[in-house]
Amino acid sequence: MITCHNLSKSYTHGRSSKMVLNNVNFAVEKGERVALLGRNGAGKSTLIKLIGGVEMPTSGKVIRHMSVSWPLGFSGGFQGSLTGYDNAKFIARIYNCDYYYVKSFVEDFSEIGAQLKMPVKTYSSGMRARLAFALSLAIEFDCYLIDEIILVGDQNFHRKCSYELFEKRSDRAMIIASHSLDTIKQVCNRGVIIHKGASEVYHDIDTALEKYSNL
Amino acid sequence: MAKASLQKLSNAWAVQVRIIHALMIRELITRFGRQNIGFLWIMVEPLLFAGLVAIIFRLTKGSVEHGMSVVAFVVSGYIPITLFRHCIARSQAAFTANSSLLYHRNIKIVDFLLARFVIEFLGSLMAYLFIASVLILFDEFPVPSDIGLFISGWLVYSFFSFSVAILIAPLSEMSEVVEKFTPVVTYIMIPFSGLFYMASWLSPGAREFLLYSPFVNGMEMMRKGIWGDQITAYYNVWNPLICSVAATALGFALCRRVRRTLAVE
Repeated sequence: MITCHNLSKSYTHGRSSKMVLNNVNFAVEKGERVALLGRNGAGKSTLIKLIGGVEMPTSGKVIRHMSVSWPLGFSGGFQGSLTGYDNAKFIARIYNCDYYYVKSFVEDFSEIGAQLKMPVKTYSSGMRARLAFALSLAIEFDCYLIDEIILVGDQNFHRKCSYELFEKRSDRAMIIASHSLDTIKQVCNRGVIIHKGASEVYHDIDTALEKYSNL
Repeated sequence: MAKASLQKLSNAWAVQVRIIHALMIRELITRFGRQNIGFLWIMVEPLLFAGLVAIIFRLTKGSVEHGMSVVAFVVSGYIPITLFRHCIARSQAAFTANSSLLYHRNIKIVDFLLARFVIEFLGSLMAYLFIASVLILFDEFPVPSDIGLFISGWLVYSFFSFSVAILIAPLSEMSEVVEKFTPVVTYIMIPFSGLFYMASWLSPGAREFLLYSPFVNGMEMMRKGIWGDQITAYYNVWNPLICSVAATALGFALCRRVRRTLAVE
């Protein structure tokens, strides 16, 4: 279970400060798929970063009783000057996994072939996403944090991701921030709407989507 | 209960070692690449620095001064100070530069500093061993008379360098002023680093004052370890140790504070 308890986050720059999240409370049980809904800049990504432990909350806490992936997105977790293989090796070391397994999984899944020998900074954004996705699926987690990445890549890759993530790992929990309402409707079973820093939890995704479209 | 917590501690230690190892390799590849001599470059800079300055001093000051070989004296001063200067330079903005790695929750910001410190530490140690062995062959460097004392001096000097780094790193994130001032401060502190003198060459008043500097204590220990009875050294090992522990504790506290507000793209 993951619990967000009175989570608040504000960013300060110079003298101005902005409260992005204000007293957010919700819990994610094993196997649940929660959609984070909200307008641009509502704080979905911030919430995902807090849950993933990338940034620290200004107040409140995140209690994790299962293993949580790093936020899957376009960037993050990469070193541009390292090659795809180096990044894979790094991830394998950090998460104590067998490198040969990670390597073959990444080769297989990302389908970017010889490009893996090149520095990541030479990749197109689609290739980056493929590598990011492959790396995070090579390590098993109880809960995946997904930040708008599902829509990346071509049709074929899209289908592959859906299969790996939503079918093969259907027993895992997921927290998904996305604007693609169709995907959310198919995949998620609960919704959290973030609006003006506050959160509202809906135990039924249809109600959540309805509320969201009236926002 | 005790066994369980011991198990937890040993697991945490294993994770820590693994992460520092991964970070070090990543850092070495990014900084030096895989071409030509690769990571051996880490010892080239201290070597060049100490070597060239030693040659200049040898040409201007002759071969022996105060009963010590000038080349050996310069080398014994410059290698530690390059370690210190690199530690400081590498610690500045270390958190923002590496922030993308914070996506992986088991990497802590202090790990960045530790990894960089270990690299600098090993690099300058290798450079020291290399240059000292070569100079010993040419009879320009004495065979250390008390290697234990030398190593202790080296360790306290390095510990103090690390403790300053762990202090500067969060400060440089908190205020840009710190970042602008550190280069000039590290330059001004050179006279207080024990680089160009032994405490015994100074007047008692100046000596007492300079022995407040942890660097001077560490440097005196190292040089006493090398030259032994040929020189008189003044040092108190507790000075650098206490300063380092205090600075490290404060540094950890500041790191925790900075981590709370660190924004990751």
